[in-house]
Amino acid sequence: MSAKGASQKGLLLVALLVSNMLLTKEGVTSLPICPNGSVNCQVSLEELFDRAVKLSHYIHFLSSEMFNEFDERYAQGRGFIAKAVNGCHTSSLTTPEDKEQAQQIHHEDLLNLVLGVLRSWNDPLIHLASEVQRIKEAPETILWKAVEIEEQNKRLLEGMEKIVGRVHSGETENEIYSPWEGLPSLQLADEDSRLFAFYNLLHCLRRDSHKIDNYLKLLKCRLIHDNNC
Amino acid sequence: MKQKFISSVQIILQLALTTAGLTGQSYPGKPRIIRCRSLEKETFSCWWKPGSDGGLPTNYTLFYSKDSEEKIYECPDYQASGPNSCYFDKNHTNPWTTYIITVMATNEIGSNSSDPQYVDVTSIVQPDAPVNLSLETKTSASITYLWAKWSPPPLAAVSSNSHVYRYELRVKPEEKEEWETISVGEQTHYKVTGLQAGVKYVVQVRCMLDLGEWSEWSSERNIQIPNGESPPEKPTIIKCRSPEKETFTCWWKPGSDKGHPINHTLLYSKEGEEKVYECPDYKTAGPNSCYFDKKHTSFWTIYNITVRATNEMGSNVSDPHYVDVTYIVQPDPPVNITLELKKSVNRKPYLVLTWSPPPLADVRSGWLTLEYELRLKPEEGEEWETIFVGQQTQCKMFSLNPGKRYIVQIHCKPDHHGSWSEWSPEMYIQIPTDFRVKDMVVWIIVGILSSLICLIMSWTMILKGYRMMAFILPPVPGPKIKGIDKHLLETGKSEELLSALGCHGFPPTSDCEELLIEYLEVEDSEDQQLMPSHDTPSKNTKMIPKETDSDSGRGSCDSPSLLSEKCRESHALPSTLQTQDIRAVQENKGAKRSWETQCIASEQKTLLFNNESTKSSTWPAVQLPPNNQLPMFAYHSNVEAHKIILNTTNVNISPVLEGNEEKYQSRYPITETVHDNMEKQREMENSKMEQTTVQVKQNRQNDKSPFLNPKLMDYVEVHKVRQDEEPTVLLKHKDNNGKTEKYTVPGTSKEYTKVSTVVDHNILVLMPDSHIQHTPVSQEPAMETSQNLQQGQAEKNMSYCLTAPSDCKRETSGSDYMDPSSFMPSFK
Repeated sequence: MSAKGASQKGLLLVALLVSNMLLTKEGVTSLPICPNGSVNCQVSLEELFDRAVKLSHYIHFLSSEMFNEFDERYAQGRGFIAKAVNGCHTSSLTTPEDKEQAQQIHHEDLLNLVLGVLRSWNDPLIHLASEVQRIKEAPETILWKAVEIEEQNKRLLEGMEKIVGRVHSGETENEIYSPWEGLPSLQLADEDSRLFAFYNLLHCLRRDSHKIDNYLKLLKCRLIHDNNC
Repeated sequence: MKQKFISSVQIILQLALTTAGLTGQSYPGKPRIIRCRSLEKETFSCWWKPGSDGGLPTNYTLFYSKDSEEKIYECPDYQASGPNSCYFDKNHTNPWTTYIITVMATNEIGSNSSDPQYVDVTSIVQPDAPVNLSLETKTSASITYLWAKWSPPPLAAVSSNSHVYRYELRVKPEEKEEWETISVGEQTHYKVTGLQAGVKYVVQVRCMLDLGEWSEWSSERNIQIPNGESPPEKPTIIKCRSPEKETFTCWWKPGSDKGHPINHTLLYSKEGEEKVYECPDYKTAGPNSCYFDKKHTSFWTIYNITVRATNEMGSNVSDPHYVDVTYIVQPDPPVNITLELKKSVNRKPYLVLTWSPPPLADVRSGWLTLEYELRLKPEEGEEWETIFVGQQTQCKMFSLNPGKRYIVQIHCKPDHHGSWSEWSPEMYIQIPTDFRVKDMVVWIIVGILSSLICLIMSWTMILKGYRMMAFILPPVPGPKIKGIDKHLLETGKSEELLSALGCHGFPPTSDCEELLIEYLEVEDSEDQQLMPSHDTPSKNTKMIPKETDSDSGRGSCDSPSLLSEKCRESHALPSTLQTQDIRAVQENKGAKRSWETQCIASEQKTLLFNNESTKSSTWPAVQLPPNNQLPMFAYHSNVEAHKIILNTTNVNISPVLEGNEEKYQSRYPITETVHDNMEKQREMENSKMEQTTVQVKQNRQNDKSPFLNPKLMDYVEVHKVRQDEEPTVLLKHKDNNGKTEKYTVPGTSKEYTKVSTVVDHNILVLMPDSHIQHTPVSQEPAMETSQNLQQGQAEKNMSYCLTAPSDCKRETSGSDYMDPSSFMPSFK
């Protein structure tokens, strides 16, 4: 428990650091541009994208690390990768699969897709953060990352909603997301099956977080830098 | 053949018989011995061909005879070798004998004999063909060969196993006519090489025994030489790589292929799809690779890739390779690398590196984000210094070693996954030799030179320290007497001294006075000794006892310098100090007696106290005589913070002084004429003392330090002598502060003890006084020794003079300076 507490403290510290970093950034470098007569002093879209990209980058970094750690520790020799081709719960969301597709899709649609993927992960991340603690001898590094990702994902979702609200001209679309029904698999009695469920979830998390990161970098270059990053 | 032949003969015979039967019966036809043959030289057989049987059953009988005998034998065995044959077993076979064989055919009518056949067993040997020929292909060291095995011909005779055959093999492709015959030797197996893969071959073998004939060829055996391995080895997928995150290529390593190429097929299926596709492009990326163009490349999708190798013999499939293209991006190295040397503000050169992302990578759209890392090392260096620079495409390198040639390389990597590209080609940059190095050299030289100079300086200082010092800090010349002989001083009589000085007669004349320096110095040296001299005359006088006898005139002339000389000798004090400290204030211009009176402290009538707190503690009684007009010696110790103020005539304050001495071991009373805080002290003290006073200040802070604090040294010079009306001497203080002046009396024999007036603020005008110092007003009545002083100024002078050396001796740190004030017996 003490170790767990320490990890949570460490986690908190990291969260504070990150938020502090962001806040500092906000305070120092991004003075809100207030056009004359405007009522709302808003953070510029560029700044919003900067933060979102940083956050998505960080989330993907964490999820990659977590996946790798899990893979090394639990998945060696089990052939999980072959079974993992069944797809992820977000596969129902049709996302661009290559550069051309990503460039052809309208940026609002792409933003909505990002939102959808982020929302789709809200639920599983919460469960992941709790269920991962039940894994036998789960290392601290995996535990705190699960919690951290869950928090950062929420934060990113907020930021993305803000961006979408800024970018969208008309009414926002319905909240699209892909439901997750994988909780029972995380609680399977059979360890092998349960570990595979975790493996698959982490694998999908790594993939989707990378998608989001990639899409956001693309969008940033497209919307802010006019495809000239 | 044989049987055919026989049967045909029989048919003919039967025909003949039938014809005979038709025409009538006759004797048999003539048989013919066809062949005799030995399989293994130990037995042999002969076959014959019957002639016409004449229509009747015919018996055939074989007779033989040996060349060595006349006897005729019949065939021993008609059965073993078949019909119309005779088998000669071992017992009937002699290899060294020639057999003469005839066959006789007999029937009811008659008989007929064949022609005799001569048989040499050795020459008719012909073994049967080898048996059990078997073939197989084997592969050794990637060479395929044919392995043939057979057995020797079987023999009826049990003992024939010992026979040694020679074999021959013949091979030909199935479709061809020409055989290739291979001599094998005596072994019963053979490795046939050089066969073409994929061809069917026919193989036969035959054998021979010694001198006989080759056997028949054995029955044919066929075999297919395979194409390389069968089935082909499992190929291995080596790696898949996407250079720009848009397309990707997979490479595999084929199994070994010999001769016949293996057909490779790459199959893949994508995550979530059942369908299996084949590689869209085998050619673009070279052999054994598959190129997936943009259309066939999806990200965030797992590809399940396998490679199938196929040949005629079959196929083999590699292990599946799972690829998500997202994670296999490995860009090309950065390009357009430029190295540029720039100079910063402080003229230090630094290196500016710039580069471009690899041309394939589409960094601008944001689809791919690259991070860079560069490394560099001096050309001869071993270890690379690696610097991660993030996403920027330029970098500044500081603190490079000048004069070295650096190698720089850069590689890049996608931001999250993937792997580092190859290092870019090596770039070289020569860092110019820094001018700072030259500067360094210059500085080093300068440093060496300056230290050298310092060394020389100090050396000369040591050697000629006095002169140097004098040169640098020219001392105020003391009242030196030219040509004085110290020994004279010490030992000689006063007359001699005086004569040596050129002052003939006493009192010294003006001649003598001319020798005197026109300065009157009031000195802050250790005049303390003057004080105790009164108290302890014995002590003080022991140095120069004789001089005490001399009169005052002489003393006024020479005593201070003499004393100082002595002191210097005895104590080897630094000469510089001596010169500086020769502060005996002397009255020049023949005013020999005016010593005492001349040595007037500044206009201040009081003694100076440096330390207020204890100023009066030590000497309250002495200090404050009733009349307060006594010239006094002020002893001042900074450390002890007390002052001793003495009246010049109050020589009997010795006990206190003694005590002081004991306490502090060294006291260096100095006549102090000037003091910074003099005025202040003056206020504190009884400033009403009108008389000229001499302050003897002990400025010694450190008891043992022989040096005087130069700051505390004050002296006066004769500023001006007014001879016009009444002779006066203006003494001007020469010290920095210059606040005080002493007025000494010039002139001949007058003593200027009277303060005439105070001019300005630093000038005291002294007037000659009619009644001399003999009766010092300020004399302390209580002092016992005061009378001595009052006896005569000369004596007093002497006594004072004498005290100085003794003191100098007594205290190692003592200086030899005379305080002229100490010679002043009285004022007014």
